[in-house]
Amino acid sequence: MIEFQHVFKSYGRGRNILADVNFRITAGEFVFVSGPSGAGKSTLLKLVGGLETASRGSIQVNGQRLDQLPARARPYLRRAVGVILQDTHLLYDRTALANVMLPLLVTGLPIRTAGARARAALDKVGLNGKEELSPIELSGGEQQRLAIARAIVNRPAILIADEPTANLDHGNAQRIMNVFRDFNRVGVTTLISSHDTELMAGYANRVLLLPEPGKFQDSHPIAAATGGAN
Amino acid sequence: MKSLLLQHRYALAVTLRRFAAQPFSSLANLLVMALILALPLLGAAVLVSAEPVVRDMSVTPELTVFMQTSASASATQAVADRITQETADQIKSVRVVPRAQALESLRNNPAWREALAALPDNPLPDAVVVTLKSGDDLAARADALAGQWGKWPQVDHVQLDSAWVQRLEAILRFGRIGLWFLAICVAVVVLATVFNTVRLQAMTQREEIAVARLVGATESFVRRPFLYLGALTGTAAALLAILAAGLALQPLNGAVLGLARSYGAEFALHLPSLSVLAVEVLAAGILGALSARWSVTRSTRF
Repeated sequence: MIEFQHVFKSYGRGRNILADVNFRITAGEFVFVSGPSGAGKSTLLKLVGGLETASRGSIQVNGQRLDQLPARARPYLRRAVGVILQDTHLLYDRTALANVMLPLLVTGLPIRTAGARARAALDKVGLNGKEELSPIELSGGEQQRLAIARAIVNRPAILIADEPTANLDHGNAQRIMNVFRDFNRVGVTTLISSHDTELMAGYANRVLLLPEPGKFQDSHPIAAATGGAN
Repeated sequence: MKSLLLQHRYALAVTLRRFAAQPFSSLANLLVMALILALPLLGAAVLVSAEPVVRDMSVTPELTVFMQTSASASATQAVADRITQETADQIKSVRVVPRAQALESLRNNPAWREALAALPDNPLPDAVVVTLKSGDDLAARADALAGQWGKWPQVDHVQLDSAWVQRLEAILRFGRIGLWFLAICVAVVVLATVFNTVRLQAMTQREEIAVARLVGATESFVRRPFLYLGALTGTAAALLAILAAGLALQPLNGAVLGLARSYGAEFALHLPSLSVLAVEVLAAGILGALSARWSVTRSTRF
């Protein structure tokens, strides 16, 4: 499903933020990417989502070699990978429903069908009844759930989320993680970056550890990794 | 196919929504473009209205050789024969107009009748009217022949009758070139206006473009609303320009018609034909779309 082989990533002439990263994630896995700030968690997730390109090495996502993927094919890969970035990138000039409909309209789905599917996605993340609100009217946790709804509305095979619980209280973080777990249970491969070991212990069965820039450990089982991360 | 149509419909809706979101700046842009587009339309109106008038006039140089009043009819005929013999390859026809015939035709004109009645005898000379064959360098040849014949004995002077028509045609030719130049300038202004409008809109829609790309939008999907914006702006501006030019012609025609009637003529300015106007609208739409494509390609590289 996701395979990194000898992947390096650096920006400009700077040092490698990722160096010789190798791992393989099979379909349906729930994986955390852990490590301190600046260790390369976001970069790793962006490489999976095709939002960044590797400096060296081979990345395969959903059966496609990203380094060999032409630019015009990248949008189709992104439809198969639901992405939730640290900044939720919600559009504040339209309703919550319109935000979630966007990935469907991009694929050319009729507005009525897109509306129905977007409502269903909002329902799944517990935002039923808030369809017509602007994202600015939602709380931080609700905005995060709205971003999740937008990421999953296209029924992606892979879901990646960068620190989705970073600014949330424990209750909201639990609620968000439960949403991810529910999607994972129906077969969606889930890759989440976090430094919250308690959260990881409760949900993940595997952790990719980035202890510092240029270092990488693929940790099994979870307990050893979470111990190592802290 | 259906999916593509739906995407176009969505793009059109997005374009109209963005247009409506900034009604004043959108309308101001439209008005500026419409007024600029109206200028070549008005120029074209003058040309297309004047061209048939000029076409009806003879632009083939017609030389009239006026004999001295003392010259006899046989001397006039001799001049006509000499012209035929010496310049047969250059002339189309030679016609002798006897002084009596010239007087008769003048008498048939009411404006001259009273003046001629007061004269004791016929003041007009015999004349030879020569029509030249058309060909290269016609005006220069006509001038040369007029100079040559003017020196012949008993010839008073030679008049080049259609010189002013040629001058008018030269002015129209100049007008046509000027109109093309104006049209090119206007095209550049339209190009620049649409380019800038799209660039500004792409900047304000930066976040929306980034999110659309994040969720799998193709570049075509991102650019399509901007192309519609350019094409619709160009088309709407061209339609408004036709309306503005049509309205401007109303008071102009009142003045022009008054002037033409004082010369006993009927002349009115009118817009070019419907097919020309349709081409103008189409060209403005295509130009707008091309400019938008160029602009959005440059403005969305992030």
